[in-house]
Amino acid sequence: MKTTRREFLGSIAAGAALVAAPSIVRAQGADVIRIGALCPVTGVGGPYGSGMQKMIVAAAEAVNAAGGASGRKIEIVSEDTQTNPQAAVLAAKKLIEVNKVQAVLGTWSSGVSLAVIPLTNDAGIPLMHCSGAPALSVPPANAKGLGFRFQATNDRFGRAFAEICEKEGFKRPATMAFNNASGIGNTEGFTKAWKAKGGEVVESVVYEPNQASYRSELMKVLAANPDVIVTGSYIADTTIILREWFQTGQPVKWVIPGWAANPQLIEALGAEVTEGIISVDSVSNEGAEAFKAYDAAYQKAMSQAGTNNVYAAMTWDMMTVLALAIEAAGTADMAAVVAKLREVGNPDGKQVSTFAEGKEALKAGKINYEGASSVLDFDQHGDVTPDFGAYFIEGGKLNRRYVVQI
Amino acid sequence: MFYAQLAVNGLVQGLVVGLGALALTLVFGIARFPNAATGDTMTFGAYAALTVHKASGSLALGSIAAIGGAAVLALLAYLTVFKRLAGRSVVSLLVASIGIGFMIRAGLGVAFGHQQQVFNVPLSRPIRVAGLAINPLDLQLAAVAAVALAAVFAILYLTPIGRQMRAVADNRDLARVSGIRPERVMTAMWLITGGVSAVGGMMLGIKTIVSPEVGWEMLLPVFAATILGGIGSPVGAVVAGLVLGVAQEVSTPFVGFTYKIALSFVVLLAVLLVRPRGLFGRIEGVR
Repeated sequence: MKTTRREFLGSIAAGAALVAAPSIVRAQGADVIRIGALCPVTGVGGPYGSGMQKMIVAAAEAVNAAGGASGRKIEIVSEDTQTNPQAAVLAAKKLIEVNKVQAVLGTWSSGVSLAVIPLTNDAGIPLMHCSGAPALSVPPANAKGLGFRFQATNDRFGRAFAEICEKEGFKRPATMAFNNASGIGNTEGFTKAWKAKGGEVVESVVYEPNQASYRSELMKVLAANPDVIVTGSYIADTTIILREWFQTGQPVKWVIPGWAANPQLIEALGAEVTEGIISVDSVSNEGAEAFKAYDAAYQKAMSQAGTNNVYAAMTWDMMTVLALAIEAAGTADMAAVVAKLREVGNPDGKQVSTFAEGKEALKAGKINYEGASSVLDFDQHGDVTPDFGAYFIEGGKLNRRYVVQI
Repeated sequence: MFYAQLAVNGLVQGLVVGLGALALTLVFGIARFPNAATGDTMTFGAYAALTVHKASGSLALGSIAAIGGAAVLALLAYLTVFKRLAGRSVVSLLVASIGIGFMIRAGLGVAFGHQQQVFNVPLSRPIRVAGLAINPLDLQLAAVAAVALAAVFAILYLTPIGRQMRAVADNRDLARVSGIRPERVMTAMWLITGGVSAVGGMMLGIKTIVSPEVGWEMLLPVFAATILGGIGSPVGAVVAGLVLGVAQEVSTPFVGFTYKIALSFVVLLAVLLVRPRGLFGRIEGVR
């Protein structure tokens, strides 16, 4: 936390210096496209936010190094959502009204994205986010088709859970969901996919946040004798639930989304309680050329492997694909740019992995950007379908055993 | 037996709420305003206990640090803010307490970060008593709460300062003309309030997680218990906390887990309709 805050202050200082330095401002003149990097630098998203923001900046640098998009340089204005909808709305207002950004990139957590998207819709600019809530695909949130999701929807997560449960041979799954759009989205997606496979769900519970104990909820679920419990949960409630479950002594397996079953959870509960939990997270497009470019940038900025932050690969793709669409549209008019996003991201067309490569190929014809986070093909809702990794917690470590595709 | 188990589940939650409500009701009864910083004082206690527990490995030392630290914090809040605002309207005091709560929460966030932390206490299997599964840790926590409550009620009902506090709560003007110094009463009251909040916060932290928001998020049930118990009644606050905790859990087979929180407010409404002064409150004349 301390490092990220310091880094955040650093990025503010850098941003302030950029604005203050007259030479830079003069050099860029009017032909600049401003993009907002609105990431969860502090709060629950803190472990990811700083890397996400730096990858937007790094991708923009790559675009500028290749001569800019449609002849214009990209300028990034960074803000922190604090992983908090109120703070995110204030920051988004500032980005849109004061900085006059042409797009907002990098929001994380469904509550934040759902709060920000009305503002970007009103401004007529795209919002590219890493949130899972199904509500972000459809009106009213995405009434104008300006929302683009680089993370899997909770519904897709649910489908991945069902694939993994089938692969592991579970017969009697039960579900537990945190009462919000994301939590219920996960378990409903699972139930739908599981029933389509002809299975049945023996019990399902939706629970409230901020309870001192979830023992009654657990009693109800465990009474149905499930062999696995699939959750749509967050780290705080997962910590409490798993601790109370372990104390009951009833053996059962768990399938938990990656943002809840992470190293922090293992640290909180210890290796014994978390042994055998299956953590499911979307995985980056690790074999792709684009991932290599992202990985190099991430290692340079964060001194860590790019595989440590799936969301940073998403923000790298956001900036790259947006710049390609601007290049293809030949204008910074966002209505025209948004219309081109699917054209540069989806098949068919020449496969490209970087902005420079794409800019070159656009002169010859259509392109298909294969991203670092996924193959990045937007469906009619602006959603993508990444692959999912099944990580087993073994001896206090998350080990990825296999990747599932849905 | 099923319902008895649910009731047991609700008791521990009820104790945490009850301790918070006791802290709130003491301030309500004596300083006459709702102290919205109660939840954050609980959080402060949880962090104090956590820090000392990490350093020393002893929960007993941790609880002493929590009680001491939070008592001093509450007294500081009184000396720097609430004392100066004494005699102003309830609203100014309430807003000031919201501000103090905000400062505590933000301070904890800066000092410890927003990521969750946990007490590393050994996990244990429940013991079976007459078919009921009871967690040994819950028993220990309940014992700690019982000792804290006994201490508070001993101070309130067996010591001269406690008698003075009750006198001020009953009738401030009469207390003053009888020669009771409000200063001493207030100091004692804030120290006790801080200590009680700390015990509640520590219990909450051990049961759940510690993050800067945990106490703030408990504030609503704490307020509900205070009102249900009868504003200003210490016994009422604790009993109401337990009643709400048990009612919530026992209701779940009928209303589900999503609506159990709403149900505790239905209980509150029903009691207030029949008994507007709360379970243990007394009717006060308007002065």
